[in-house]
Amino acid sequence: MAICTGCSLLCQDIEASVSEGKLTKAKNLCRKGHGHFQASFSERTSPMIGRKQVDLNQAIARAAEILRSAKSPLLFGWSNSTLEAQRVGISLAEKLGATIDDTSSFCQGSLMESILSGRLPSCTLDDVRNYADTSIFWGADPSNSHPRHLSRFSYYPRGEKRQKSYEEERTCLVVDVRMSATAALCKENLFRVSPGGDAEFIEAILSVLAGKIPRVGDKKKMIELGTMLKKTEWGAIFPGPGLVYSLQGNMEILEKLLARLNEITVFKVVPMVGHFNMRGFNELLREKTGHINRVSFKGGEIVHGPEQSVMTAAKSCDAALIVGYDPLSSLPFATAQALARLPLIAIDPHRSLTTDAAEVVIPAAISGLEAGGTAVRTDGVKIEFEPIIEPGLPADEQILKRIMEAI
Amino acid sequence: MALELSIITIRDIFQDEAGKKSRYSEEYKSQSALIILDKQDLAGLGVKDGQSLLVKNDVGSVVVSARLSEDTHPGLAFMPNSPWSNQLVSDATCEAGIPGFKGIKAAVQPAEASAAVTDISEILSRIKG
Repeated sequence: MAICTGCSLLCQDIEASVSEGKLTKAKNLCRKGHGHFQASFSERTSPMIGRKQVDLNQAIARAAEILRSAKSPLLFGWSNSTLEAQRVGISLAEKLGATIDDTSSFCQGSLMESILSGRLPSCTLDDVRNYADTSIFWGADPSNSHPRHLSRFSYYPRGEKRQKSYEEERTCLVVDVRMSATAALCKENLFRVSPGGDAEFIEAILSVLAGKIPRVGDKKKMIELGTMLKKTEWGAIFPGPGLVYSLQGNMEILEKLLARLNEITVFKVVPMVGHFNMRGFNELLREKTGHINRVSFKGGEIVHGPEQSVMTAAKSCDAALIVGYDPLSSLPFATAQALARLPLIAIDPHRSLTTDAAEVVIPAAISGLEAGGTAVRTDGVKIEFEPIIEPGLPADEQILKRIMEAI
Repeated sequence: MALELSIITIRDIFQDEAGKKSRYSEEYKSQSALIILDKQDLAGLGVKDGQSLLVKNDVGSVVVSARLSEDTHPGLAFMPNSPWSNQLVSDATCEAGIPGFKGIKAAVQPAEASAAVTDISEILSRIKG
């Protein structure tokens, strides 16, 4: 059995065989996971300095030199690395007095902060499978982002207390601005919100739960929703980027809704993390510093805030180490431009816009496929894994250790 | 004629799969460099599914393919989250430090006959300046 690190569900039931540089057998992989496994044979990086091929030792030495001479380096990425690599990354940031940040900074960070600090009640996906009779996908489209979410946990499987599964015992609701693939499955249980209208929609739910007429939305449908929520025995809400972006980090209103729902029945929140170990990084950094992301260790002090976010630090730092992520593809144009002007070091198994703009490229083994380690699933369950391919490449953990030693 | 539209970025499993395999493939380009429009907006622009559109705002511009939506959402368009959509995303953030990936305002108009869909190499050279 192999594990899939293609998304944060970390499916552990994958049967895969590889021979002669091809994936010859694949069972239980979703389309996204299949792409992830197949990607191990395409667009792999090799060690480079200034676009010229070098050996690994030279690339690591150059990376150490850039970081050592930088006054305010940024260490960014981390969501596609194992806990072991992340731990070394945080130590490296401490040693360098650097700023460290991950992808949660411009995505699910505020939600993760609420969950890890206990302001939102949460549970495992196994609890969802065993107990949930209502699953709400809010600004999330697992059919595209977490393809096996519904079949493994939230809709189709039979669980301890849910022996009749979706046919009779589970209801799925979608709150979204559009008819997503997941919404199409839930048919009449799509509740449409206007773009940016999620806070208003939450107020409307709170009104209905208080027996008042809601001010927004189709009144009849909102009253139906209120009844469905009240009748729920054990509910789970899965907020995606759609909700987090719409609330612009204002989690208080969501916390208020959950507090109210839990006065009536049981409702939990499970995040829909994109990358396979974003949550792991958030937990580790929080343990070390009290903050889930956006931390600077400059002058031996821990400073946290928007100035330490990748969005701001990209413009103020003088070198950046990017681990397992492609910010030049994924961040707004001006932020990508700011990063591309820096001496960039990219540790990545795959070629990307970022590796193509980097001063130093260091190839790494793909975690899960070619390197073992530990990761934290989107719901907080820690999962250990062994590699299924021996690539002859070091894992990012080893690369980071060598950079640290060289510094 | 140009239409002022709000664009929301979305996740797409086919695009995600293509991107995992290669950022530089035609497959990734065809799954990323697109904008999904309401039937009414497409008709308003006088273009059909598959034709090229120029999408432009203060941040940047890209030429992408038009896709007819199966849903109804006049005034609202969708693009897969990709280097193409990021050409249009401002680096200004809300108080929580989140950029407007899902709240892009842009003018959409038919592309000139000679304009090809923006290539990823063009995007990289713009980023590198």
